[in-house]
Amino acid sequence: MTHIRIRAAAVAAAASVALVLSGCSGGAPAATGEIDPEGEIQPREISWLLSRPADGGVITAMQQIADEYAEEHPGFSLNLITTPDRPSYIQKYETLAAANKLPELFDTDATPFAKKLADQGRMIDAEALLKDLDLYDDYRPAALNYQRFDDGSLYMIPFEFQLEFFWYNTALFEEAGVEVPESLDDFPAMCEALRASGVTPIALDGQDQWPLERYMAYHPFRTAGPEYVQELKRGDAAFADPDGEAAVEWLHSLGEAGCFAEGFSSTGYADAQALFTSGKAAVYNIGTWELANLATENLDAGVRDDIDYFTLPMTPDAVTAENEYVTPSGIGMAVSAKTFDPLVRDFLAFALERYPEVYATTGALSPTSNVETTIPDNATPLYQRAVEQADGVGEKIAMPWDTQLDPASNTRLQQELTLLVQGEITPDEFIETMDATIARNGPAAFE
Amino acid sequence: MSTSMLPSRSKTSVLVFLIPPLLLYGVAVLLPILQSLFLSFFDWDGITSLRFVGFDNYARMFVGDDVFWTAFSNSLGYLAICLILQLGGALVVASLLISLRRGREVVKTLYLLPAVISTVAIAFLFQRIYSLEPVGLLNQLLAWVGLEGLQQAWLSDVDTVLAAVSIPEGWRFTGLYMLIIYAALLAVPQELEEAARLDGANWWQVFTKIRFPYIRPVWITTTIMASTYALRGFDIPYLLTNGGPGQASELLTTYMYKTAFTHTDYGYASTISVFIVVECLIAVGLIILLLRRKADA
Repeated sequence: MTHIRIRAAAVAAAASVALVLSGCSGGAPAATGEIDPEGEIQPREISWLLSRPADGGVITAMQQIADEYAEEHPGFSLNLITTPDRPSYIQKYETLAAANKLPELFDTDATPFAKKLADQGRMIDAEALLKDLDLYDDYRPAALNYQRFDDGSLYMIPFEFQLEFFWYNTALFEEAGVEVPESLDDFPAMCEALRASGVTPIALDGQDQWPLERYMAYHPFRTAGPEYVQELKRGDAAFADPDGEAAVEWLHSLGEAGCFAEGFSSTGYADAQALFTSGKAAVYNIGTWELANLATENLDAGVRDDIDYFTLPMTPDAVTAENEYVTPSGIGMAVSAKTFDPLVRDFLAFALERYPEVYATTGALSPTSNVETTIPDNATPLYQRAVEQADGVGEKIAMPWDTQLDPASNTRLQQELTLLVQGEITPDEFIETMDATIARNGPAAFE
Repeated sequence: MSTSMLPSRSKTSVLVFLIPPLLLYGVAVLLPILQSLFLSFFDWDGITSLRFVGFDNYARMFVGDDVFWTAFSNSLGYLAICLILQLGGALVVASLLISLRRGREVVKTLYLLPAVISTVAIAFLFQRIYSLEPVGLLNQLLAWVGLEGLQQAWLSDVDTVLAAVSIPEGWRFTGLYMLIIYAALLAVPQELEEAARLDGANWWQVFTKIRFPYIRPVWITTTIMASTYALRGFDIPYLLTNGGPGQASELLTTYMYKTAFTHTDYGYASTISVFIVVECLIAVGLIILLLRRKADA
């Protein structure tokens, strides 16, 4: 019998044990949550557990700023621990939170889990901190609003500002004889025409799940506004409601019209982008974090002059404005209350003041409105247009649903969405499964 | 018993050598299993305090969770495919290898190669092989032999995905089990086989009456190894499809992992892991029972 080693179970169980041993107390650590702690600044190494591209603008800028700060404060260093893959990151961060081992700074979206941490006093109130540092008014309201919990409280600081567009290939549109869709309801016809002309209508990274989940968010955002998902996740609204049903029917019709590549559910991020940038797919829904690949000379010369973008189309009875769509400020940075001391405060005061300028020179959109983004030398005209578009966005934000729903409902939604779009289940089956799932998990997660 | 013939000093030394690994085993394997058993009676998200729920998690698992049963039947399918490929494939290759006069080492190495490649690399490899857009190896081969009609996105089709994620795992360890069975086949006395052949036994009779009975103990061990490995298979399905599309390739292990580390529902995840432990024990018990009974018959 000693030969039997049930490793999979053991690994998970061992992880649970580690959690039990280290986090059994479960309660909040002894933190005051004071935003201006007394005492001297004692330089040491602080860590930031983050989920951003290792060579991306945020990390590059913060590394530079940390080096500048260290010059004046010998002994200081900023240890950046990044896990760009979001699901892996979330597992890491939640496990560390359970073990009460979160570092000074850590990334999180405004999820139910983060709300629990905030309620336990384990995160510093970001609104109070930014106001105390006299930086609050520099931020774009939309960038801050994206980070807020439903009750309006703010515990995460944004480091980016992104706009999500539908990029499209004008040459392929012309060939197929289609126009930019004015309404979301025009999508199926657009897809059919593009299919008929022999191209993949929409490139989609189905493997990572969140890109398809965006499509779930679009229709109800137009017909019912941002409140729909906030009610839905608590079980106060349902997919069976007219707005939900219309959204489900819309997604089903996208599948039927062959909008996405066959086998999209196993297509990865890079493959999906390659479909678009090689001119094999006509539409690609992605944010301004890809400007460097879509609006500069990095883009394949063959399609460079044919690329344009449009923002989230309307619906006939839309309750949100044309300039309101998905405008995320990325995953936010939370400040751990347990390890917050004069040094962390002083470093943040220095870094957050300096950050917008350093970050904007990388060609990215700052979460603040007090700096101008440097347009790279090799940019196409589209770059400038996209950057300017940021100043004209409206107040309401189409929130990505994966940051809204409780994790169990979210997993199920992602799975069922794939099946719905592939035509494996009917809209009615989808609605029944999802309403039951949210009824079981949602109210408990947001009590 | 041979141990009784050891002087008492040797008994002590046997104990000295046996106790550390036993302790390690207890801490690394038994303790976590007991902890899972303990946690399975609680509702716990990792950051708030434990809440005792009695058998609620078990009730939910057995009657209230359709994904659990889908995952369970997928796990059995995965097990079946892995066993056929690993044991069946291994036996066939090992038998052929025995009859090979030259180049045995080369063939052995080639077959063993996948077992030493990293899982992540294998997952990427098969992602490419199964791909439809751009056309991967499998679909390309189908086109070359004129079967374009069969081309499809193997990892996106709910009907093919379970087999598609099981095959890499099966293929990967065929070489390992082949090596074990090959070693056992080498030990079959040649005189017996020759005598049987002289008496007019055909190939099948030699195999069923002499070779297989000889390797039965090894066969039991490999079956147990392959079954328990397959029942706790995780990495390749997780990397290739993450259980999708829908729940079509969700195994109990990937479901348990998601429940614990994505849903932070540690109590329920522990309940599923207790089920996996019990399932493995039952499987091993069944294998031993079946193969022993055959041996006695």
